[in-house]
Amino acid sequence: MENLKIAATERSPEVDFDFKHGILSLRGESYPEDASAVFGPIFGALEKFLATVGSREIRMDFDLTYFNSSSAKALMNMFQLLDRAAAAGASIKITWFFAPDDDTMKEFGEDFSEDLEHVSFNLVAIETVA
Amino acid sequence: MLAQYYRSFKRDLDQRGIIFSFSGYMSEGILFSLGDALRQKMALEDTNVGTVKKVFSVFVEQAQNIIRYSADKVSGDVGKVVELSSGMVTIGTENGHFFIVCANVVLACDEPRLRERLERLQKMDKDEIKAYYKEQLREAPDEHSRGATIGLIEIARRASAPIEFDFDRINDESFFFCMKVSI
Repeated sequence: MENLKIAATERSPEVDFDFKHGILSLRGESYPEDASAVFGPIFGALEKFLATVGSREIRMDFDLTYFNSSSAKALMNMFQLLDRAAAAGASIKITWFFAPDDDTMKEFGEDFSEDLEHVSFNLVAIETVA
Repeated sequence: MLAQYYRSFKRDLDQRGIIFSFSGYMSEGILFSLGDALRQKMALEDTNVGTVKKVFSVFVEQAQNIIRYSADKVSGDVGKVVELSSGMVTIGTENGHFFIVCANVVLACDEPRLRERLERLQKMDKDEIKAYYKEQLREAPDEHSRGATIGLIEIARRASAPIEFDFDRINDESFFFCMKVSI
């Protein structure tokens, strides 16, 4: 399956889905006018990919510094999709990065991961490189 | 006269602690530029990172509410299709806290539901707001609101005191709505 690479814009995150190696990441900020226009294609590609993975190992990194409430809903849908794929047999490791002084992003990581049952989830504080 | 008039206008804003205030037609481009200036201004003043994030988040949700829900809109084709929504966003400080006020016209038929949502949030404490947010995150959006509920909960979650709001009736069809959030 073709990799999905979308450059960040002022209000949408960088998408780097390396399907070949099973390494996926979302990075940056997200507060677009229309969250479904931004996340629809990302979600669609992820869904298609996860349907093919069987028991492969997949890494998904979230390195986000800010997102609005409609993006939060879209992210929640992605978490649920990843958890379902893990329930079906994939070995999925999600890492949620946050800056050490950013309680909001840390709390979001906790909120999203709360009812995940099948993925492995790690909350990781990292200093951002200025 | 001209300078005197606008100096007094500016002084009035300054005395109310206003950092900036925008009134008129909002677009996503304006939202981005104002938000960027706001973050830079707060960073220059060594504002705590957590506070900058909270103020910015409330600003974005309020400005996007105006863009989506203001009843005072103009739209048309100027080479591309544009839709502009009228409203006001004001950010300032008072008693050592930041405040963000938004205002726009709402249709009278939308007023009861908006009032009910805000009153519900006003009665909640921090833990209840957090639990409500998590519940809404997992719900499918209700048909008409395009995500308004979760946006209001996000605002309440970042606020350091209950949201203040008010409606002023303009005529049979509409109200002037405003909301004030302290961080």
